[in-house]
Amino acid sequence: MSVIVNGHTHPLPEPRTLGALLRSLSPSAPFVVARNGEVVPSRAYEACPIDPGDRIDIVHPAAGG
Amino acid sequence: MEGRQHDDRLTVYGQSFPSRLMLGTARYDSPALLADAIRAADPAMLTVSLRRQLPGSKDSGQAFWNLLRETQRPILPNTAGCLTAREAVNTACMARELFQTNLIKLEVIGDEINLQPDPFGLVEAAVELVERGFQVFPYCTEDWVLCRRLMDAGCEVLMPWAAPIGTGQGPRNPRALRELRERASQIPLIVDAGIGLPSHACQVMEWGFDGVLLNTAVSRALDPVRMASAFGNAVKAGRNAFLAGPMIVQDVAVPSTPEIGRPFRSASPQTP
Repeated sequence: MSVIVNGHTHPLPEPRTLGALLRSLSPSAPFVVARNGEVVPSRAYEACPIDPGDRIDIVHPAAGG
Repeated sequence: MEGRQHDDRLTVYGQSFPSRLMLGTARYDSPALLADAIRAADPAMLTVSLRRQLPGSKDSGQAFWNLLRETQRPILPNTAGCLTAREAVNTACMARELFQTNLIKLEVIGDEINLQPDPFGLVEAAVELVERGFQVFPYCTEDWVLCRRLMDAGCEVLMPWAAPIGTGQGPRNPRALRELRERASQIPLIVDAGIGLPSHACQVMEWGFDGVLLNTAVSRALDPVRMASAFGNAVKAGRNAFLAGPMIVQDVAVPSTPEIGRPFRSASPQTP
């Protein structure tokens, strides 16, 4: 049972929420998260369920033109 | 003239900017060089992007984030690299969440060789983003019908390319760009992509474009800070030339020195 985080397989956390996943990953701030392509506001992390096979993208500011 | 220059500001989506140059933040050799280039160019906005944190990387973007905040410049996030309208909309939503701005530089790329905008995906994404409250800066071509569709979608600024991204070729299709300027006379037009030299930037500003967005021409110069300054001056020079109203080009020579009273001629006109 896993999810795809930034293109890589990662075990599903318990409980199965985005908040729990982020605690296990500890990404450095600032970052923003999308679940299956849809942005998830930071206030909704704990309430956001994640399911096996979900695609989670964690991105941060980067240089751009 | 001083007052006219002072009052001449770029206004987009109700926001007013003293500079008409927008600067990308990519491809600098170091953050310090980027910071110095920003100071030298004095841009209205900085374009930025969103990227995944690489596995094992300790670079979270924190240093870049701090640098951006220290410049105190408005941020224009982009959707660079998106190949579909859906990707672009999703990226824009993530950018809004991260950067806390409704501004978005909309890129939907239709060809991975020349990075040409996908006109169909661009309009589709623009419609949805405007509906969601974004202030969209679409990276487009100079195609008039595409530009009209983007305006119909609610875009209040257009960003036609000069040439493919990162080429530095300068305006490839001057006639079409100038026709666009004439027909889209009521909307700010910012030339984005393909600018390589300050003379390119000056040229499009002389044609009446409202601003220039560039990145590689500064960041890949041998001396990016000096080039940033050169672009800042070029944009101002072109804008002032446009406002000053260039002379009308003549088909034949017209002496600039008065003919009357020239020595060594047989007769000079009599003074009354």
